[in-house]
Amino acid sequence: MRKLGIVALGAAAALTLAGCASGDAGGGSDENATIRVWLVGTDTPDTARDYLVKTFEEEHPGSKLVIEEQAWDGLVDRLTTSLSGSDSPDVVEVGNTQASAFTSAGAFLDLTDQYEDLGGDDLLPGFVEAGTYDGKFYAAPLYSGSRLVFYKKDAMEAAGQTVPTTLDEYVATGAALAAANPGKSGIWWPGQDWRNALPFIWENGGEVAVPDGDKWDAQLSSPESIKGLEEVQQAMATASVAPKDANETSPEVGFCDGTTLQLSAPSWVKFSILAPVDAEAPGCPDQEANLGVYALPGKDGGAAQVFAGGSNIGVSAKSAHPDLAVDALKIILSDEFQTIYAEGGLVPAKLSLADKLGTDEVAQAIAAAAGNAKLTPASPRWADVEAARILEDLFVNIAQGGDVKTLAEEADKQIEDILNS
Amino acid sequence: MTTVDQDLEPAAPSAVEGERLTAPSGGKPQRRGRRAAGFTPYALITPAIIVLAAIVGWPLVQLIITSFQEFGRAQVFGAPPSWVWFDNYIDVFTDPVFYGVLGRTLLFAGACVAVTMVLSTLIALMLVRLPKGFRMLLTVGMLLAWAMPALTATIVWGWMFDTAYGVINYALVNWFGLAEFDQHQWLINPLSFFMVAGIIVVWGAVPFAAFTLYAGLTQVPGEVLEAAQLDGAGGFARFRLIIFPYLKPIFMIVTMLQVIWDLKVFTQIFALQDIGGIRAQTNTLGVYIYQTSIAGGDFGHGGAIAVITAVLLMAISIYYIRQVLKEEEL
Repeated sequence: MRKLGIVALGAAAALTLAGCASGDAGGGSDENATIRVWLVGTDTPDTARDYLVKTFEEEHPGSKLVIEEQAWDGLVDRLTTSLSGSDSPDVVEVGNTQASAFTSAGAFLDLTDQYEDLGGDDLLPGFVEAGTYDGKFYAAPLYSGSRLVFYKKDAMEAAGQTVPTTLDEYVATGAALAAANPGKSGIWWPGQDWRNALPFIWENGGEVAVPDGDKWDAQLSSPESIKGLEEVQQAMATASVAPKDANETSPEVGFCDGTTLQLSAPSWVKFSILAPVDAEAPGCPDQEANLGVYALPGKDGGAAQVFAGGSNIGVSAKSAHPDLAVDALKIILSDEFQTIYAEGGLVPAKLSLADKLGTDEVAQAIAAAAGNAKLTPASPRWADVEAARILEDLFVNIAQGGDVKTLAEEADKQIEDILNS
Repeated sequence: MTTVDQDLEPAAPSAVEGERLTAPSGGKPQRRGRRAAGFTPYALITPAIIVLAAIVGWPLVQLIITSFQEFGRAQVFGAPPSWVWFDNYIDVFTDPVFYGVLGRTLLFAGACVAVTMVLSTLIALMLVRLPKGFRMLLTVGMLLAWAMPALTATIVWGWMFDTAYGVINYALVNWFGLAEFDQHQWLINPLSFFMVAGIIVVWGAVPFAAFTLYAGLTQVPGEVLEAAQLDGAGGFARFRLIIFPYLKPIFMIVTMLQVIWDLKVFTQIFALQDIGGIRAQTNTLGVYIYQTSIAGGDFGHGGAIAVITAVLLMAISIYYIRQVLKEEEL
């Protein structure tokens, strides 16, 4: 086991510390320092990254800012090991539902004094809440991404379907598309993708977990949630030919090779789909005219309550140059930087910049979806539920046609075990 | 023969029945030299012990301490831990999930070791026979497999077994006409998951075992084999009665190493779970420790499981090392 421990830590470290920071021998000196910023996933556009590096290095001659891109997969694990170490990154992005695991553990620097400078009450309120613990402000909003449905206009037309206006119609449309095109997905839904299942639970009146005194009561096996989960199972069975145990990364692959006719994904997936053919992750820009988009409809019409994905960003409590790191954070929350997010189809961290999203179809759909977005249970231990992959396992089992009630009861027990431990 | 002449030096084999070839008993400078060394061996081993104590011993002590504490993410970032003594161990030993993981790990490791040993023995025997050119080709091929990092290998194998775009499904459907393998999900069934994981583990382990056994095979005296052949011993009899006894210590050491490696397998399972499959049904000890400790932020329970695993591995190792030592005393 001692070796196991080393293997585990080694694997984490190897994946994590891709580039070790060039040193900062004098702890107090901010001259010629290197600030390491961890951005997660590919959602942050290159123009925004360049802007951040350039602006920071102009404002702090001699100092450097290095952006290290991390993967969403296993992020909580990596942050736990790296933020607690002596080689901690200075500024880190973290998923909004994961933030409280770190704010509650004291991993982030207290930014309460900087709140006004960072944007004050103009910051997205739900995300400020996610980054606040015990009355102190630790992690600022970075951006919010809403989930949209992307579809192929020609396939929709050929199958004689129109854009659905209720959640039931969405499943029916997906099934009709799949029936009209054997071997293709009317709704591409790989088994591990639980975030797209949440609207089905919420729209049917269910919840994942609700607070009960100082405990949490998991609700996946409530009659309302079961109804939603059964609809998910039906959609997976009748509309999707995606692997029942795969994860939801790279949705553009199936969309571009023609096997996916419709899918629900974060709004920035539009840019993955329309990426140049010779890009590292190639897309299919020729589909631009054929790419339709709408906000997932709710049970009774209107926009469904979708999962409000997004990120918070904080400064590591172990940062060797906290002042420089806060300066970098201010650039990230500046209007200029956040406008680049808005133009890239992400909801910016400031309410006042919402109009930068534009007025096209996607922007309207984003606005509709963001207006009705909802979060996972606000417990510091929710990140552990995600890290234990309970929901991934649940939906892989549901995708395989397992008994929804039994599976949901098992998952409820596991979730309560973690949230209440 | 061992009982009568205990005071004699170990004998070299002789062609004459009962004869013992021993070195002249006068002088023995080497024995005096050994006594005189006294301090030197300890001085020589000290640097190694210091390094081991620092990079293995200290973390081990830390781990044991953690396993007796309630140690969560807040403690990682500096909050003082509280002592719970054996609570973590009691929780682990009363958790049916742990026994599931343990049983799965033992079965998986056992199967992998058996397959690895059989395959590498066959390959080692083949290496002896092959003409030089082919032997070089096979050696280079195996070296490449051995040099491939486990993570890379797992991702490549994972692609090959991919549901929608994998070459295995493609070949089975288009070349062998097995239509039921269209979109076949190799990782969703735990048994099938472990078959894929087993292929990756065995593929990575065979080269080392095969090279080691091949090195041993070159030391088996040709004249003994030739004599056996003249006496009418077939290929299998020669292996069972001559080669295997000669190489028994090597077989035991390689098997022991494989058992230890396969019991603590981590990378292959961890990476494969990400590609597909149901984690709760495919966790092995290594992955389970990682999930409990680092992903789940519960270092106390994770530490307890890790200590239990360490004890298990040490018990197996000590048993095998004793066997090897006994073997050498004969």
